[in-house]
Amino acid sequence: MDHFPTNWGRPRSEAVDLYNTYPLHNRPGPKADAFTEGVQRTQAPIVTGTSVLAFRFKDGIIMAADNLASYGSLARFKDVQRLIPVGAYTVIGGGGDMSDLQHINHLLEGLIIEELCEEDGHALGPAEIYEYLSQVLYARRSKMDPLWNSLLVGGFKDGKSFLGYVDLLGTTYTASTLATGYGSMIAQPLLRKYVEGREETLTEDEGKKIIEECMKVLFYRDARSINKYQIATITEKGISISESLSAHTEWSFAEKIRGYGAQTQ
Amino acid sequence: MSMHSFVARFSSSAADPLSLSLQSRNATQADDEDAGIPIELWGSQAGFGSLASQGGHSFAVPKVPNPAEFLRMHTDEHEGKIKIQHGTTCLAFRFKGGVIVAVDSRASAGSYIASGTVKKVLEINKYLLGTMAGGGADCQYWETYLGIQCRLHELRNGERMSVAAASKYLANLVYGYKGMGLSMATMICGWDKSGPAVYYVDSDGTRMKGDVFSVGSGSTFAYGVLDQGYKWDLSDEEAQELGRRSIYAAGHRDAYTGNTVNLYHVRENGWEFINNYDISKLHYEGPGGITSEGYGYSVRTAEQTSRSAENDAMQEVEGDLV
Amino acid sequence: MAQQRSFNPYTENGGTILAIAGADFAVVAGDTRQTEGYSIQTRYAPKVFRLTDKAVLAVNGFAADGNMFVKKVKQRLEWYKHAHSKDMPLQSIARLIQTMLYAKRFFPYYVYNILGGIDEQGKGAVYSFDPVGSYERETCRAAGAAQSLVQPFLDNQIYFKNQTGEHPTHLPLPHVLQLVTDSFTGATERHIEVGDGLEMFVILARGRGSQELEGVAGIREVTTSDERERVFVINRDLKRD
Repeated sequence: MDHFPTNWGRPRSEAVDLYNTYPLHNRPGPKADAFTEGVQRTQAPIVTGTSVLAFRFKDGIIMAADNLASYGSLARFKDVQRLIPVGAYTVIGGGGDMSDLQHINHLLEGLIIEELCEEDGHALGPAEIYEYLSQVLYARRSKMDPLWNSLLVGGFKDGKSFLGYVDLLGTTYTASTLATGYGSMIAQPLLRKYVEGREETLTEDEGKKIIEECMKVLFYRDARSINKYQIATITEKGISISESLSAHTEWSFAEKIRGYGAQTQ
Repeated sequence: MSMHSFVARFSSSAADPLSLSLQSRNATQADDEDAGIPIELWGSQAGFGSLASQGGHSFAVPKVPNPAEFLRMHTDEHEGKIKIQHGTTCLAFRFKGGVIVAVDSRASAGSYIASGTVKKVLEINKYLLGTMAGGGADCQYWETYLGIQCRLHELRNGERMSVAAASKYLANLVYGYKGMGLSMATMICGWDKSGPAVYYVDSDGTRMKGDVFSVGSGSTFAYGVLDQGYKWDLSDEEAQELGRRSIYAAGHRDAYTGNTVNLYHVRENGWEFINNYDISKLHYEGPGGITSEGYGYSVRTAEQTSRSAENDAMQEVEGDLV
Repeated sequence: MAQQRSFNPYTENGGTILAIAGADFAVVAGDTRQTEGYSIQTRYAPKVFRLTDKAVLAVNGFAADGNMFVKKVKQRLEWYKHAHSKDMPLQSIARLIQTMLYAKRFFPYYVYNILGGIDEQGKGAVYSFDPVGSYERETCRAAGAAQSLVQPFLDNQIYFKNQTGEHPTHLPLPHVLQLVTDSFTGATERHIEVGDGLEMFVILARGRGSQELEGVAGIREVTTSDERERVFVINRDLKRD
C-alpha cells in the first residue's frame, strides 16, 4: 500500500506500480517513421550573443549590443551586428542563438516587404513589431520548438517612445530601462539608478555615456563579451546605428596580482 | 511517405507564420488548437458546443516524444510546479431507502489548503450524482460532459439513462485517455429501474458496481466507520448519520480531508441535498437533531481517563505536563 | 531512444492577485511587479484586465501564458457579443474559462485565474480556477506567490473565521478597499516577489451609487457605457525593495 496520501487517487507511475496494466500492449501510438523521429528541436543554443541594453531618453530610445557571437567559450565571430533595424521606426536587439536571430530577421524583412506592398498609408511601428514577435515566439514555445532568443524591441513613432522585451518563452514586459542576459544582472541596476525618473530630461550624449559605462562593466565581468559594441538611437529623426566603439578599460592591475598563474610572489 | 512528411513539416509554406493567406493559416496542424477555427465557434457554439462541429473533443498535446511524461514532470508529481487541486474523501452506499452520498469539502494544492468550500458532489442531473476525488478539473469537466450526454440520451430515447449506462459511458470515455495523466475517481450514484445503484469509476478505466464505496486519501478512515455500521435495512436517518459520521472520521484523522461534510440522499424521484456540516462543530456539538452529542472521542470520554488531579499536579511540578 | 528535454516551457513570474465579492460590488486587485528568479523584470506589468463592464479577470503564474489566455478569452467574448448582441453573463464566462483551460489539459496554461464581477442577479461574485479548469464560486480568494499570507488574513476579516461575536454578512466598499490595500502592503513586507505597485478594479452593480468612491486618490473610470454596471481602477504604490 502506498502510505503517502498525496499519491492516492492520482495517475500511477509506471516505474513504481507493479500491478499497472499500462502501457497497453496494442496501444496505437502516433504514426512516426524513424527518419522524422530523429529530427530534433532546438534544445540548446549553439552560436550565441550576450547582453543587449536599452533605455528611454528625452528624444527616443537608445540601445546597445556588442559585436560578438560566441561558440560556447570560443569568441568565434567578432563583427556581428546584433542590432537590427526593422522598417523606419524600430530596432531589435537580439541575444541568444544567432541562427534563430537571423531567422527572425528574415521573418521581419518579409513582414516589412509585405507591409510596403500594401501601400495603405500605414507603417509598422515598434508596438506592432513587438506584438508580432511575442506571438511568434510564444507559438514556437508552445510547439516545444523555441526560437532561443531574448530580444529588446525599441523604437520611436508618432512622437512616442516604445521599449519592450520578449524572450524564448513568450514572456513580455516593458519598462523604461531593459537589459538581457548578464546585462539584466550587471547593467540593469546601473541603468535604473541613472535613468529612472530622468527619462524626459536625459540627452543623447548623457545616454551614450551611460551606455559606455555599462558596456565597460559588462566587458570586465561577462566572460562571453568583447570590447567592441554598437549603439543605436531611434528618435523622430529615424534610426541611427553607430560604428563599432570601444570602452576604455584598465588592465594594469593584472600585473600586480600575486598568487595566480606564473607570478606567485 | 517518410520524406514527404519531413518535407511537409519543414517546408516554408506549411511552417511560415508570415504567410498571410487565410487558407494556409487554416491548414490545420492537428495539435495547434487555434488553427482553422470554424465559424461555428462564434458565440454559443463554442465550448461544449464545439463538440457538434468538430465531432468530439480535441485536446492540445505538447509536441514532445512522451506527452504523458511531460505532463507528469510539470504538474505536481512531487517535483513539478503546476499544482492542480486534488479532492480527498468521498463515500456512497446504497440501502433500502436509496443512496447516501457524503463528501468532505477540502481541496489541497500540494500542502496548501486551496479551499474549504469545494462542492465535491456534482449534480449531473436531477437523479444522478457524481462525486469528485482526484483532480477537480477532470471530475468537473467530464461529469458536466456526462450530464450533456445523459440529456441527449433522454431526448433521443424518451427515458432516463440508467446508472449503469451513465457510468459505462464515463468509464469508456476516460479509458480513451488512459495513461495520459487524467486523475479522476468518482462514484456515479442514482436510482433507476433496477433500484438504487452506485458505480465506482476511475481514470485507470475501472468500473465496479457495489453497495458501499469510499474513495480518496481518507477512505480508509471512512471505511472503518462505514463497514461497522452498514446494513441494508437502515432507516433514512440512520443511513444519513452513518454517512456523516464516516466523513467526520476521515476529516478528523486525514490531513487532506476536512472543513465540512456535504450530505446527499438519492431517492426514487431524485436526489435531495440534506445539509452541510462543519467538521469542527460535529466534533464538539454533533449534528444537532438526532444526536446532540459531539462526535469527538475526547467529548465522549471526558471524565474517563487515568489522569487524576494528583498525578497532574505532580507532573506539573516536574515540568512534564503537556 | 531517450530524449533529454532541456527546454522547460514554463517559468514563474511571481506576484499576487485577489478578489472580493460584496453585496452589490466586486473588487479584483493585483500587484504590478513581474519577477523571474531573483530579478525584477519590470515594476509595472498589469495582471488584472477588464473583460466586460460586468467582469474583470486577474491572472497569475506564468505571465506569457497568462497574457495569452486573457487575449483568447477577450477574443471569445468579442465573438459572443457579435453573435448575440449582448455581453456574456458572468457565470457563462466562468464556464467558458473552464472549457478553455481544460482544452489544454495535457499542456496546461500555468495560470491561476480569478474572475470577479456582477452576476445576473446584480450581486457581487468571485470565481476562482486552478490551472486546468476546476472552478468554484466564492466570496473571496487570493492567489499567487503570497496566497498563503493573504488568504488566512481574508478568512479572518471577511469570513470572520476564528472570531466570536456578531459580524455583518456584507462589508461596505471602503472597508473592503482598505482590506485589499492592507493585504498587499502586508504581503509586500514579507514576500520578495510582491511589491512595486497595486492596481485595484472596482465593479459596481447597475444602479449602485459611486459616492463612496468619490475622493479616492488616483481613481479613474474605465466603463464603456454609463447606463449599466461601472468599472473603476485605482492605482497605488507599494514598496519597491
